[in-house]
Amino acid sequence: MNTSTVSTAQLRRWPEQRDARIPAWIYSDPDLFKREMEVFYEGSTWNFVGLACEIAEPGAFKRSWIGTRPVLVVRDEDGTINVVENRCAHRGSMLCWKNNGVVKDFTCPYHHWSYDLKGNLLGLPFLRGAMGKGGMPRDFAKGEHGLRKLRVAERKGLVWATFDESAPDLEAYLGDEIAALIDRATGNGRLKLLGYNRQLLPCNWKLYVENSRDPYHATLLHSFFLTFGLLRADTAFKAVPTLGGRHAIMASTYSAATASEKNEVTQQLASLKSDFSLQDMDMVRPVDEFGDSSMINFSVLPSVFFQQHGNSLAIRHVIPKSESQTELSWTHYGFEDDDETMQNRRIKQANLMGPAGYVAVDDSEVLALMQPVAQSAPDSVQAVEMGGRDYAPQETMLTETLIRGFYHYYREKMGL
Amino acid sequence: MSEWHPAIQADAVAEGTPCPLLIGDTPIALYRLGGEVYAIGDRCTHEPEVRLSDGFVDGDVIECPMHQSCFSIRTGKVIGPPAREDVHAYPIRIEDGTVYVEL
Repeated sequence: MNTSTVSTAQLRRWPEQRDARIPAWIYSDPDLFKREMEVFYEGSTWNFVGLACEIAEPGAFKRSWIGTRPVLVVRDEDGTINVVENRCAHRGSMLCWKNNGVVKDFTCPYHHWSYDLKGNLLGLPFLRGAMGKGGMPRDFAKGEHGLRKLRVAERKGLVWATFDESAPDLEAYLGDEIAALIDRATGNGRLKLLGYNRQLLPCNWKLYVENSRDPYHATLLHSFFLTFGLLRADTAFKAVPTLGGRHAIMASTYSAATASEKNEVTQQLASLKSDFSLQDMDMVRPVDEFGDSSMINFSVLPSVFFQQHGNSLAIRHVIPKSESQTELSWTHYGFEDDDETMQNRRIKQANLMGPAGYVAVDDSEVLALMQPVAQSAPDSVQAVEMGGRDYAPQETMLTETLIRGFYHYYREKMGL
Repeated sequence: MSEWHPAIQADAVAEGTPCPLLIGDTPIALYRLGGEVYAIGDRCTHEPEVRLSDGFVDGDVIECPMHQSCFSIRTGKVIGPPAREDVHAYPIRIEDGTVYVEL
């Protein structure tokens, strides 16, 4: 009898009540994880890989990831941007080991195979052997041994890539609503890199996706938000799943006038500590840079979350490593025409997020402790019924509609 | 100031076989093409630790053993990537059966 490991996904069924229930086994099954990588990251999706301003000059590159697969984003000599898999075509070793730099070509450390900025194989040591011995067969064709080349799309200073030659255009994949919000977040497209944060979360990637689509927790877990009025359950709010749950928008309004006001909603929340203050209150005093009194955060499946907290703008890149590990990589940005005051404000307010962020550190702790519990009870089931059981858009923070939307889309794509 | 350096007996430079030597600290390789002898720099401009003379002679082209950058034996000009810069070509003359290289 064959006793080898069988995917639990083949043996288990999604609970009744569909989108309003989440079975815990989806967070710990390695086979399911592999399929998710194929479907969501390597499939017919567009993945954020970097900012165009990170690779300004010819030969400049940055290392990035699409799911578990490493890629290189590189500026070609003619100014176009190429994205190639960071995997030597020879033996599959990691070709480039640096996070960024400027090169004329890429040479693999293992056997020194060399590739141009488009990923074409330039040459390899001892193609013709030495002293009349060894070497490649005479019909070895360099043209057939280049790096895997990805489709690339650049829009408003952001670079996206897909492994799928037949994926729809980036704009169609994003949809009108998300495309418009990306345009809002990237302004004239002349972005300026402000810095990075990276952290390894010991949890399944979907726990982070849920977290970033969950306004309900934001007013409860994140006492910092509430205490300083950056996000309040009593302000106007929209939670909008788009394209059948693929992407998710969370739009809140911010008003300096009501930021510290108390009423019956905030009175109920023990985490509102109205006597707290900061040495430097600029941290929580954003200026209304988009002129719409809104803070709009949105999630673009599979890989990124656009962050606007105060004047901290960042792209949070979700990089799954295994069924129980996920890297989070923040790329903080501003605009070339920001004045010094604005740039400093963005950098200061970036401390809200990141591995030790005043707000984000709460999520890291919760998710790190949630993963082992989920793994310990794979047959358990979560309930996500706040705000109903469907995934219609809602005008409240007290809703899990975006999580239900995600799982509606997820189940459809995964056939679960 | 360049000057002429005696390098090697001319009949030691054989067709199809690079002949590497050092003149002072400068690595040079001599090649015979038909009746003529040529001298070019012997370090690949793509990977300067690699000797071109360890490579493969194909007609009047020397191909680097490392990544197949190609250079003209007659002129030192790069004619195939990944190298982008030429190697130096040195004037030679033969007197009394000895090859002299000017550098």
